[in-house]
Amino acid sequence: MQNTVDRLDRPSSYATAKQRRNRERRNSNQDSEQAQADLPPVQELEDKLRDATTLYVGNLSFYTTEEQIHELFSKCGEIKRLVMGLDRFQKTPCGFCFVEYYTHQDALDCLKYVGGTKLDERIVRADLDEGFIEGRQYGRGKSGGQVRDEYREEFDPGRGGYGRKLQDDYTDDYS
Amino acid sequence: MADTDTRRDYRGGPGRGFKRKRFGEDDDLVQGHRQQRQRQDVPPGTRLRRGLLEIAEDPLRLAKDVAVNLAKLAVEHWDDEYVRDTLANTVLKLVVEQPFKIPFVAGVVLYANDERPEVVRELLGRLGVQLQEALDAGNWRDCKLLLRFTACLSPLYQEDGIYAILDELFNRAVDLQTASSEDVAGIELVKIILLTIPYWIASGDPSLQQKAAEILEKTDIVASAPHPFEPSIDPYPTSSQEEKPMACPSVIAMLQKQLQEEMSNGWSLALIPRVYEATAANDTHNDVANGDSEMKTSERHPFPSVSIPSPVQPGSKTLFPERYFSLFADQEVESVPSTSNIASTLLRDAIADTINILDFNRNVVAKLLNDIDCFWTPGTFIKRATQFDKLRDVPEGKAKWKPEDVSIDAIFSQIFQLPAPEHRLVYYHSLITESCKISPQAVAPSLGRAIRFLYRHVDSMDMELYYRYMDWFSHHLSNFEFRWKWTEWTAEVDLPDIDPRKAFINGILDKEIRLSFAKRIRETLPEPFRPLIPSSKEKDIPDFKYADDQTPYASEGREVLALLKRKAPEEEIDRVLEPVHEQAINLGATEPLVPSTDIYMTAICSIGSKSLSHVLSTIDRCKQRLLTIGSKSEDARRQIITSVVDFWAEHPGTAVNIVDKLLNYSIVTPMSVIHWALTDHLNRGRILASAQAYELVSTTMFKVVNRIRGVVRERNNPNLLFAQRQQLDQLLPGERQNMRDMFAAITDAVSSVANGTQDSMIERFDDDEGTGERELIMFWGQRWEQVWKRKAAVEEAIVGESVIGPLGEDSAPAAAAAAAEEPDMDVVE
Repeated sequence: MQNTVDRLDRPSSYATAKQRRNRERRNSNQDSEQAQADLPPVQELEDKLRDATTLYVGNLSFYTTEEQIHELFSKCGEIKRLVMGLDRFQKTPCGFCFVEYYTHQDALDCLKYVGGTKLDERIVRADLDEGFIEGRQYGRGKSGGQVRDEYREEFDPGRGGYGRKLQDDYTDDYS
Repeated sequence: MADTDTRRDYRGGPGRGFKRKRFGEDDDLVQGHRQQRQRQDVPPGTRLRRGLLEIAEDPLRLAKDVAVNLAKLAVEHWDDEYVRDTLANTVLKLVVEQPFKIPFVAGVVLYANDERPEVVRELLGRLGVQLQEALDAGNWRDCKLLLRFTACLSPLYQEDGIYAILDELFNRAVDLQTASSEDVAGIELVKIILLTIPYWIASGDPSLQQKAAEILEKTDIVASAPHPFEPSIDPYPTSSQEEKPMACPSVIAMLQKQLQEEMSNGWSLALIPRVYEATAANDTHNDVANGDSEMKTSERHPFPSVSIPSPVQPGSKTLFPERYFSLFADQEVESVPSTSNIASTLLRDAIADTINILDFNRNVVAKLLNDIDCFWTPGTFIKRATQFDKLRDVPEGKAKWKPEDVSIDAIFSQIFQLPAPEHRLVYYHSLITESCKISPQAVAPSLGRAIRFLYRHVDSMDMELYYRYMDWFSHHLSNFEFRWKWTEWTAEVDLPDIDPRKAFINGILDKEIRLSFAKRIRETLPEPFRPLIPSSKEKDIPDFKYADDQTPYASEGREVLALLKRKAPEEEIDRVLEPVHEQAINLGATEPLVPSTDIYMTAICSIGSKSLSHVLSTIDRCKQRLLTIGSKSEDARRQIITSVVDFWAEHPGTAVNIVDKLLNYSIVTPMSVIHWALTDHLNRGRILASAQAYELVSTTMFKVVNRIRGVVRERNNPNLLFAQRQQLDQLLPGERQNMRDMFAAITDAVSSVANGTQDSMIERFDDDEGTGERELIMFWGQRWEQVWKRKAAVEEAIVGESVIGPLGEDSAPAAAAAAAEEPDMDVVE
């Protein structure tokens, strides 16, 4: 039965919106029926996340270390793997990471108790993730970092100052 | 901006929906227009649900009016199936999720009954079903809350049914108590009985008071008998009563006394809100002009039929007796209800349940706690954010209870719950953070007094709680720019490091650094504290000791480092290390493998010093040799730990993490960690003051305990093949013996420190004159002893053979099922 208050341990609207966006994009790009058949079933994302043990963690400072992340995130269970997000070209941290736990429950606890709290004096964002695959640790922005750091107009000393290049081809922060 | 990326919406209040305002919605005109449209559009079921969810949250609306309106809404649209469903669903879900609102939703139901009894008939039916399910499953919290709701509805029933249930529950409790002097389930049942009584009596009928008196007379014998486990869960385990910072009475004994006291005062129970006024119905009924008079009669219903299973199900959690923890109670100024007042237990029970049930939305919980004064009789609390000093000026007989103090007190009672709180500690941390964010000016001063109280008595606090406090405090500060009035604690800066207060300060600073970095933390400290963070802590990458020619085996050390760096074949490493073994023997080393192991492990640490993943991949690469070393010699195995701890001497947390990973690889064993700390490095007991040693031993035992709990869980998993379960069952005695041996190793080591009989302690302490070092160390020993004896006893209660019983083919015996569902220590849900 539906809870009387919302739950914080659900995938964010960002993740579901991303899936919808991707599908729409593919729909509009393709005309053949073959392409339609390739589409994932609607429930796929939810299925993938049902046992998810990985979290995407965003809004980190570029200077935040693995040890700091470990210190905070291990409060929700032992960490199996921690993958730092890196600038595609410079191979330096670019403000996000993937935290993998041993159990799904640990990941949910992390959403509930750590997401939205501070690490290294910044509010970090945590989102359930379908699982790390090689390549996803790199920023997807034009200049190597995350897309949000390309177009950001505000000065953020923890994330390299002003956005590197303002441009409007907004794609995905991580994927 | 740093803090603006909150795409997940962490704000919002209960039942208000979490929709973010769209652009332009702030405009008054637009909004006004929209709301008007909404009023026409929103279907009654949706309005009913929203109204129920928000019940009592608006202090400007009279509880009675709100209840009457909602009842009317339900009654008017009773033909709408969605409305019927919504009423029962929402009401019953609120009862088990938001205990604060129980008296208010009961009010809605009572008013609805005045208008249209069939509305209630259906609800009572479902209430009975749900209560029965909770009883059958041994889900005691749901039982308690559903019974409370049932009791609040007392005016509905043709005959009182509560008494019969409570009496029946009591009989079960007696059965359990008679069967075992260590029984806790029976105490839980009595607690449920006692916590139902106040709501039952407050529901109106004065004839209930006689029955309540009868129950109280009976429960006394169970409630006032001390449980043998109570001394083990005392937050302040000092021997003398007078010295104790707080009495921490047994919850059940205290509750019994409070009720007797309340009874002798004529059951005023002033704080329980009385929403329903029975006269309202009768008034309209007498109104002859009203054609619907028949409809308005408050019809009575049969009491929902439930049967209490015999024997009762033990439930899915191992129960332990509880003690009442309060930072603010019974002090000079009564900012929270005293422990003699039933209000203390009623508030604490409702708050703790709210906190623990709604762990999936800490923002809502923080909001509910912030609004706590809305949910009790108006005037129960003093105005929010009243300064503590102003409480002294409040005239006698007027409310002095500070809502912030009551809430903060309750959250801390969960953090300091022994043996363990319901959820991960970090949940309660985040709840305090949210509470501070909602209302900083109200909460921060209460928090400050809590911190000071805890610090003042930190030396006599149970050591496990001492570390929980340290962990919370450092984490909390990390969410608030590390701001604290350190100058208050300046007097302790120059104490020796083994003084509990000084050790506490050192521990906080270390944990702060782990969440941040040394330079930043030093900046937050006043001058006298800065030397506690020497510049050596700023070095991210420690020196490689073999780089210094003064270090024995310096050249070999450098050579191994170079070989490892270029991933040379094992034979080349052998070629360097073999001569080290010979040299060691010539130098008279007892274990020739020790110096070479130091070289090898230190080189691994150095290569991996850049980050945790670097060291992990290096260990992974070198694991074969490390495993071989450990299997050849226990001394060498412990040297692996020594090398890690020495290399990371300035960053003790990193060392603990690496040892933790070495345990996962079985490169070091749990027993080797215990002996490393409590035998090899005991240092006449001084190590017992080290936060790192405690952390090492705790994380190690945590793994051991989790493992055996996992074995028990799978052994009792009915979805597994019986043969598999049998296999696991055969593993169990060995696993259990291992665990017991480890607990014994710890308690043996620390007991000898506690009573001063440890070999090296018998010699006179050189610097003992005046410092009392020996006494301090013995005191640390006692603190360790208390913690580890308790932990051992707790595990016996969860995985001991007497608890889980023999493995049966059909279905696991009741107690085994309970142990099976016992959560892992790191999945505390």
